[in-house]
Amino acid sequence: MSGTRILALTTRIMRQIVRDRRTLALVFLVPLLVMSVLYVVLTGSSGAVPRLALVRPTGTGSEALNLLIDRLLPPASRLKTMTIAADEVESVLNKGEADAALIFPTDLAAQLAHGEHPRLQLVLEGSDPTVAAAMRESVTALVRQLDVALVQAQSQRGQGQQGPVPAVNVPATSVLTLATPRYLHGGPDYTFNDALAPVFIGVFSFFFVFLLTSVAFLRERSQGTIERVLASPLRRGELVMGYVCGFTLFALVQAVVVLLFVIFVLRVHYQGNLGLVFLVAILLTVSGVNLGIFLSTFAQNEFQIIQFIPLVFGLQVLLSGIFWPVAQLPAWLQPVSYLLPLTYANEALRDVMLKGSDFAQIAPQLAALLVFMLLMIGLSAVTVRRQVA
Amino acid sequence: MAESSQTGSHSLATGAGEPLVVCEGVVKVFGKLRVLDGLNLTIGTGETFGLVGPNGSGKTTLMRMLAGLVRPTAGGVRVLGRCLPDPAVAASIGYMTQLSALYLDLTARENLRFFCSIYGLRGQERERRINEILERVELSANADRVVATFSGGMRQRLSLACALVHRPRLALLDEPTVGVDPELRRAFWDYFAQLNGEGTTIVVSTHHLDEAARCSRLGLLRFGKLLACGTPQELLAGAGTSDMETAFLYYAARGRQEEVTA
Ligand SMILES: Nc1ncnc2c1ncn2[C@@H]1O[C@H](COP(=O)(O)OP(=O)(O)OP(=O)(O)O)[C@@H](O)[C@H]1O
Ligand SMILES: [Mg+2]
Repeated sequence: MSGTRILALTTRIMRQIVRDRRTLALVFLVPLLVMSVLYVVLTGSSGAVPRLALVRPTGTGSEALNLLIDRLLPPASRLKTMTIAADEVESVLNKGEADAALIFPTDLAAQLAHGEHPRLQLVLEGSDPTVAAAMRESVTALVRQLDVALVQAQSQRGQGQQGPVPAVNVPATSVLTLATPRYLHGGPDYTFNDALAPVFIGVFSFFFVFLLTSVAFLRERSQGTIERVLASPLRRGELVMGYVCGFTLFALVQAVVVLLFVIFVLRVHYQGNLGLVFLVAILLTVSGVNLGIFLSTFAQNEFQIIQFIPLVFGLQVLLSGIFWPVAQLPAWLQPVSYLLPLTYANEALRDVMLKGSDFAQIAPQLAALLVFMLLMIGLSAVTVRRQVA
Repeated sequence: MAESSQTGSHSLATGAGEPLVVCEGVVKVFGKLRVLDGLNLTIGTGETFGLVGPNGSGKTTLMRMLAGLVRPTAGGVRVLGRCLPDPAVAASIGYMTQLSALYLDLTARENLRFFCSIYGLRGQERERRINEILERVELSANADRVVATFSGGMRQRLSLACALVHRPRLALLDEPTVGVDPELRRAFWDYFAQLNGEGTTIVVSTHHLDEAARCSRLGLLRFGKLLACGTPQELLAGAGTSDMETAFLYYAARGRQEEVTA
């Protein structure tokens, strides 16, 4: 590898990008426009069934209470529930096995018997604000129904009838209190866009770089300059490297613009390490450049490149968990999602920006992105070599 | 690797007495088409070797092979004593493609700068070479215009400049004077003669017979072979004529006859 020759190529590519003012403007403005429109349009309503983990009362006399709770729970088609232990709450939520946990006091029966007002605690995972809001709503309704049932039972007992529920000694209209929900991530003021913004950095760096590279490489072939370049001492590896450097630099500038817009204009909440955000962007960009080189050899003109967009881009937008979590896709589609680099990028970017995850926590996603990147480099290297008949 | 980029034009020694270009029994097959069929050719240092032949006879294919872009199906090609493709040889070759291959969104100077840089020239030396060659092809006044605004002839001139800017030892020029006005065409050929004097070898393809007459040697490519090869005088004498066109028709007819009897 010769730095001088790679630099020559990188400089040329950057110069070509900068010279094409219209493309440049589009590439930088379109993401901002799309994000702004989504910000206005999206009133988050995800079709997913929320999942609630219950930490049930276990003390003496709880059996009847648990039966009552089960009776009041909405059908599984509207709310999926599971039972966990009190010390599992954080891990279950962090692993994404449930969206929220409702914690009953262990000695709920005893507290009721003593006429106390037991406090229930709702813990929300919180990184998807839509899910969190829906969860607050359905849990509040559930607790209210439970409350009504307990008050009813109390008055029945007062009339000398033996209800299915342990005695409540206080004549009251409400016996239960629901404490202010606790958020593991984010907070009640998180919006749908907070969850969407991180993903855009990945989507835009991948998409535009793929598009620009494939068109640039196609031009190199159709105007014949590739012949000159390949006849020169420039090695094929250096050719790929030059393209990667040129477009990656450009994509990083774009990521900065998107990030600044997201933070200062859309005022999206974020925490976490920006270095990791750029690391993900670099991995994605390098994949995008090489995928662009690879696919450009199957196109005869720019129009045919456009035909790759639904395949490369549409599919990924639908399946990579941007709008619907991957876990909620049909089971047979989920493996497809895990073949797409954006799935891993989205997970990593959300984890970093919303949950403040560190390097170790997103290492699996980074590894997947790295594997995908190496695969793409391999493919493009093979296709560049094939240019010589 | 880094070293080979520095060497530019004069580090590779041709093996003792070996001609600059040697083709032995070269065959190239595209699918079912035998474009080159046992071609033999040697080209010595400082020559201008002219390739003539009808459309589709394989002139471009042969040039691309000498540039290391096409591998022969059979037979051997050696340039500067080395088998191709070889990056060390690539640094000593300049290739001008048949259709001017330029970055249309860059200026003439930026194009030259890019090609100089990938051949390892830099700094003052590079800028000096660029100005010199721009002068040579009469583009100095338009050096900082974007190539998309150039006329066909101007692009052709820049294309030639890009092939010669790094002072190659072997210049492969595929129809360099297409679309170039007569005055400048003459200037081009004067320049080729000057380059020959400096030790640069030129392989040039052309359909202009007046240009063919200015080559030091000529090869008539047809049916995948060189039907005739020699100085223009030898070819004229062999055909017993004083007219290049008649000579070519003579050799073509003779070649066709051999093809039929074979
Ligand atoms: N990559 C390729 N794949 C298939 N066929 C090819 C390829 N390159 C050239 N050919 C064929 O080989 C033959 C010779 O082509 P070539 O370009 O070398 O001709 P040429 O002598 O340069 O013609 P012209 O005078 O028109 O420039 C043609 O029939 C062409 O169709
Ligand atoms: Mg040709």
